[in-house]
Parts: sequence; structure tokens; C-alpha cells
Amino acid sequence: MPFFNIDSVKSRTFDAIVIGSGISGGWSAKELTGYGLRTLVLERGRDVKHGVDYPTAMKNPWEFPHLGQISKAEKEANPIASQCYAYKEDSAHFFVKDAEHPYVQEKPFTWIRGYQVGGKSLLWARGTQRWSQLDFEGPARDGFAVEWPIGYKDIAPWYSYVEKFAGISGNKDGLPQLPDGEFLPPHEQSCVEKYFSQQMAKHYNNSRPVIIGRCAHLTKPNPIHHQQGRGQCQNRVLCQRGCPYGGYFSSNSSTLPWAQKTGKLTLKPDSVVHSIIYDEKKGKATGVRVVDAHTKEMTEYYARIIFVNAATLNTNLILLNSKSSRFPNGLGNDNGLLGKYISFHNFRTTISAEYEGFQETITEGNRPNGSYIPRFRNLYKQETDFLRGYAAGFGSSRMLDRDTTGFGEDLKKSLTGKKYGNWRVSSHMMGETIPKETNHVALDSGLTDAWGVPLLKTSVAYDDNDEKMIVDFHEQLTEMLTLAGFTNIQTHDDPNKAPGIDIHEMGGVRMGKDPKTSLLNKWNQLHHCKNVFVTDGACMTSNSTQNPSLTFMAITARAADHAVKELRKGNL
Amino acid sequence: MAVAGLVALPAWASGWNPATLGPVAVLPPAEEALLAELVETIIPETDTPGAKTLKVHQFVLRMVQDCYGEVAQNNLNQGLITLDQVAKGAFEKLFIDLDVTQRTAVLTHLQQSDDPATKAFISLVKNLTIQGYLNSEYVLLNMMEYKMAPGFYHGCVPLKA
Repeated sequence: MPFFNIDSVKSRTFDAIVIGSGISGGWSAKELTGYGLRTLVLERGRDVKHGVDYPTAMKNPWEFPHLGQISKAEKEANPIASQCYAYKEDSAHFFVKDAEHPYVQEKPFTWIRGYQVGGKSLLWARGTQRWSQLDFEGPARDGFAVEWPIGYKDIAPWYSYVEKFAGISGNKDGLPQLPDGEFLPPHEQSCVEKYFSQQMAKHYNNSRPVIIGRCAHLTKPNPIHHQQGRGQCQNRVLCQRGCPYGGYFSSNSSTLPWAQKTGKLTLKPDSVVHSIIYDEKKGKATGVRVVDAHTKEMTEYYARIIFVNAATLNTNLILLNSKSSRFPNGLGNDNGLLGKYISFHNFRTTISAEYEGFQETITEGNRPNGSYIPRFRNLYKQETDFLRGYAAGFGSSRMLDRDTTGFGEDLKKSLTGKKYGNWRVSSHMMGETIPKETNHVALDSGLTDAWGVPLLKTSVAYDDNDEKMIVDFHEQLTEMLTLAGFTNIQTHDDPNKAPGIDIHEMGGVRMGKDPKTSLLNKWNQLHHCKNVFVTDGACMTSNSTQNPSLTFMAITARAADHAVKELRKGNL
Repeated sequence: MAVAGLVALPAWASGWNPATLGPVAVLPPAEEALLAELVETIIPETDTPGAKTLKVHQFVLRMVQDCYGEVAQNNLNQGLITLDQVAKGAFEKLFIDLDVTQRTAVLTHLQQSDDPATKAFISLVKNLTIQGYLNSEYVLLNMMEYKMAPGFYHGCVPLKA
């Protein structure tokens, strides 16, 4: 297959290749080009240019034929994507069509994918909470998975580094379990959220804080954000359409244009990575095989280092499909653990309630954020019959109270009146799940996709620990809401909501100290193929309770710094 | 340069034409006219436009056609027949020929019906009428102080009397 025309090979040779252009791929691109490396970024989906390719961004509600609702035909054609909360008439074009991208669900797994330049960074929920040392110590303390090879002190400076550039709003809460970051001004909590926070401080002696969420929105941009061409968040809360103001962080608005400005970036959309090329004589990876999304033609590209940022499960897929006589079971997979110890966040359950106080107040405007309850279970020692714990989102609003029983003028008056109902609050659980060998992905032995890549087979499920955690969330949140005087408390749990719908899948290529029990070292290099770096969710040894993207960004920037130092030393 | 992201909206932002919402045609003109009178009875013209002027009946049709299943579509068709049957039974006229009080009486009767299909019909049309009305350009801009970009969030504001 390779076409050994010297010029052609030269034109296909770079210093670095980045597979994927989502949150972590964008950071790889920015960092590597920033260090002067000629970098090829391969994106399997179409190009999406910031501002230009956000076709729905400025539409008013009445300009959508179905006011945002997905048509029945489209829903039926996309049973996976249509389970996602963000899949609406204004954003459907940023999700893959299910039929074009099949996978095999050995156990139900709702795999949400956005194949385009920017990936899911256009669609994410933008929560950005740091991990603490308590999170990194989890596996070692509680005896699951393997010990993390890094701790908070290793990652803290890189959190600061990415936060300053991405723009993270938040309040300095001084919590050991949720370290403060480099914050832009925080969003405001509503009266009811503040009240709940005060009540919890009183009833639980400050052990159950309720804080404003930290999120990737420019509440007050700094010069570094203006230099990216980004402006202040306009509180539209239409983020899933792509933000023409660059009000929230995405690869499209931030890292990719920054990388472009260096003159070192080559961005190739419509480029499906088939596998990584391993050279046995050199003992390292030399490039990647790419299938053109449209012509299906295969081309090889070469580089000295490769960053795999295809998003957790596709990173697993590419490595599993990178077979050679040295690595017959996938690149770097001597121990057979590649694709195993997949974890996710348990988002199955919610609780809602009402508050009869604060009748004389409302909120005004929109807030692309909510309050947040950091993990309080098993924080410093084991207290429950399940391992680890959960964080929870907490939001409040006051809706107009509309009597719709009548017809005619009475109904019309009631619809446009300003009578408000009680405050309503709701909270959703974000539960840590324990990575287990049985929760895995693998290649299907027979089926391939339209690009000749084997289909991914998912075998990931809830376990007893997850079920116990749901019961505890219901008990604890009910107690907390009751103590604060909330009424009409209702719990909701949907066991049919399969893993994956959290869009926080992690692991499969975990970091660790020992090559016998992990795939990556503390610098995110494959133990057995040091010039391949995995810095997306696939690298995660455990998943804790925080929204993970910020940690992927920090890990990526840290690994890129190390990669460049090693390159300069001639070690790669 | 520094605030480019704030002020420069691309040209396509103003290029949207509501006419491109596309045609709807599940009902013959007579039935569509009847549906228009039905939604107007639910939300009538007062000192502000009613549902018919705001073309909410077309929204109802589009939603039933595109987002609801065959059961709802049949229910809508059958319901419009029932609507005239009830009107004739009570007032010996077609629904379209009744005055406002009579029309409201017919709808109230349908809403209180023991027949699940009839109840489903009136609640389908009523809910979609309310949704279409409240999200119409006129209502959002003139009655709801709608702004796409408020630019702020205040968590605790005194309720205006």
C-alpha cells in the first residue's frame, strides 16, 4: 500500500500526529504546535469552523419548525443519539447518525458521539471541577483497580495552566475535597440555593457544602481570552448550537484557532484513523493509517510522536485495531488489559422537591450552570456499605403557574399572566463507578464499519455498588431536603437508562505504575511504545465524581510538555 | 480586535427566512379551516392577536404530522369530525357557524367527555395550541419580554407586583 515516492512521504511526515480534535485533541494540538512541532490533527468527521458552521446559533425559538423537538422519524432512526438531553432540533447536526456508525452492545451502552472538528467539545455540559488528592488516592485506599501513578501535586500546576487559558468561572470555596482553581467570577446562586447551602452548613456542620458549580464560561474574559477572539458569555444557554461569542470553551473557539495561528498546524477532517503503524526494528510507532471518510482510500501519515485523543472508546478501538507481530492483541497490550476496566458515571437517578418560601422573589436572566454538591460520602474513611460516593448537581427555578383548564379569554389571560408557582429544585446524582475487568470493550470478530474498521463491542454494566449508591443518594438527599423544609420530595430512577448516557466513559488504557497491570506510565506513554501518548478519558485509572473534561485537559498539557522534553533529549 | 467575539456576528445570522419552515399538508383545506377556528376558540383574538392570526393551527398540524405517530394523526382527523358532530347535536350547526359562547360550550363538553379518544383529541390540540402560541414570535417579543441574550443572571430578584 505505501507509495514510496520520496516527496509524497515527505509531505505526509510531521513532527507529531494528534488523533481527534475534541477537548483533549484540541489541547494536544495547541500545546504541540506551541512548542514548535509541525502537527497533523486527524479528525474523522467534517470540518466545523467556529462561528461559520453553527447554522442554528442565532435562530429564535419560533424559527424552528418543531420548537426544538426532534421529529418522530429522526428519533426512530437514531435511537442512541436521541437519548441524549442535548439532542434537539437545534443541535442534531452535531451528533452522529446511528445507522452510519453501528456498534455491538453485548450489554446496553448508550454511546453518544459527535464526529466533527471540535468533537463533543461543542456539546459538553461545561462543568469543570478539579480532582483532589482524595480522588487520586481512591483506588489505593479502597483496594480497587490499580494505584494512580500521579497525585494532585503533579497535576495541580497543569490545572492552573489550562484553567487560565480555557476560562473557568467559580468561587473560591476552600474545600479540601474540591480544590479551588484559577477562577473567573462565579455565577450567582439563587435565593433557594443559598438558603439550602446555609441549612446544610448548619445541619451537617459544614460537611456537606452546596456551592456554585465551576464551569468553562467567560463570565469576565481576560486578555488571553480576547486574544483567542472570544467574548463574554451572553447567558443565552444555547450552548449546544455552538457559541458565536466563544462564551464557553470548545476546541473550535479556543485551542484549534490558537494552534492554527502558530502556522504549525495541519488539520485534516474526514480522516478516519484505522490503526497506528508500529515499526519493530525501531521499536516504536512511526505513523498512522488513515481512511478517507468519503473515498475510503487509505493513506499513511508519519510522525515522531502520536497523541491518541479519539475519545475514550474510539481510542480503545484504534489501539485494539493496531495489530502487529510484536503486538498481536493491540498496541502496547502485552498484559491483555487493553479495553478493560472501563468505568463511567452513574447518572441514572434524580430527586426533585418544592420550596414554599421566598414567594416574593424570582430569578432573572439565564445561567449556563447550576449549584453543585461535592462528594461527601466516604470522603476520609469508609462509612457505607458501598465504595466511594457521588457528587450531585443542584438547580432551582420558579415557573409561571398557568391554569390551563379553561378556554378562550380566561385561558389567554392565565397563559400570559405573571403568577408564579412554588420554587422547584432538582438534583441529579453523578456517581463514581468502580472500574472492573468485566466492564470492557473489544473488537467484534466479524463485523466492520463502512471504513473497514472492526465494530466496537461494548460490555459495560451497572453493579451492586451502583445500586446501593442510588439507594443512599435517595436517602441522603431526602434527609437533606427534609431538614431544609422542602416539600413534595420525589425520587426518580430509571434502570433502563444504560451506562454511556452520562457521556463520561473512561478507562480501558489506564495509567499505572506497573506495566504488568496498566497500559500507560505516569506521563501517559504506552509502557511498551513510548512515543504513543494517550491523554483522553481512556487513560483514567478511576473516575471519581467530577465532570472529567478539565482533568483530561490538564493531563494532556502535562503529557505534551513531557513529550517535547523527551523529544529534545532524543529519547523518543 | 480585542472584542471581536462580542460584536462581529456573521452575515448568515440575519439571513433566516421563516418561510423556509416548509409546507404542511395533512388536512384538506376545509379541515384546516376548521382547525384554525378551533385553535382560535382556545386562544381568541382580544386586544392582542389570537391563535388563528398567529397561524398556530399550522404549528399544530406540523407537530402532529412530524413528531407524533399515526395514532395521534388519526385521532386529530377523527376528532375534527367529532367536533362537528357535537356542534350539530347541541346547536344544529357546524362548529364553524357557532358563536363564541356555543363554541366554548362544545370544547368544554369535549374536555369533560368520558370517551378517551375525544379527551385525547382535545388535550392534544389544546396543549399544542398553548405551546405554539406561547412560543410564537408575536407573544415572545411583545408579551414575554423575550431576549435571546439577556447577558445576565440574577438569583434573587424581588417579584414585581
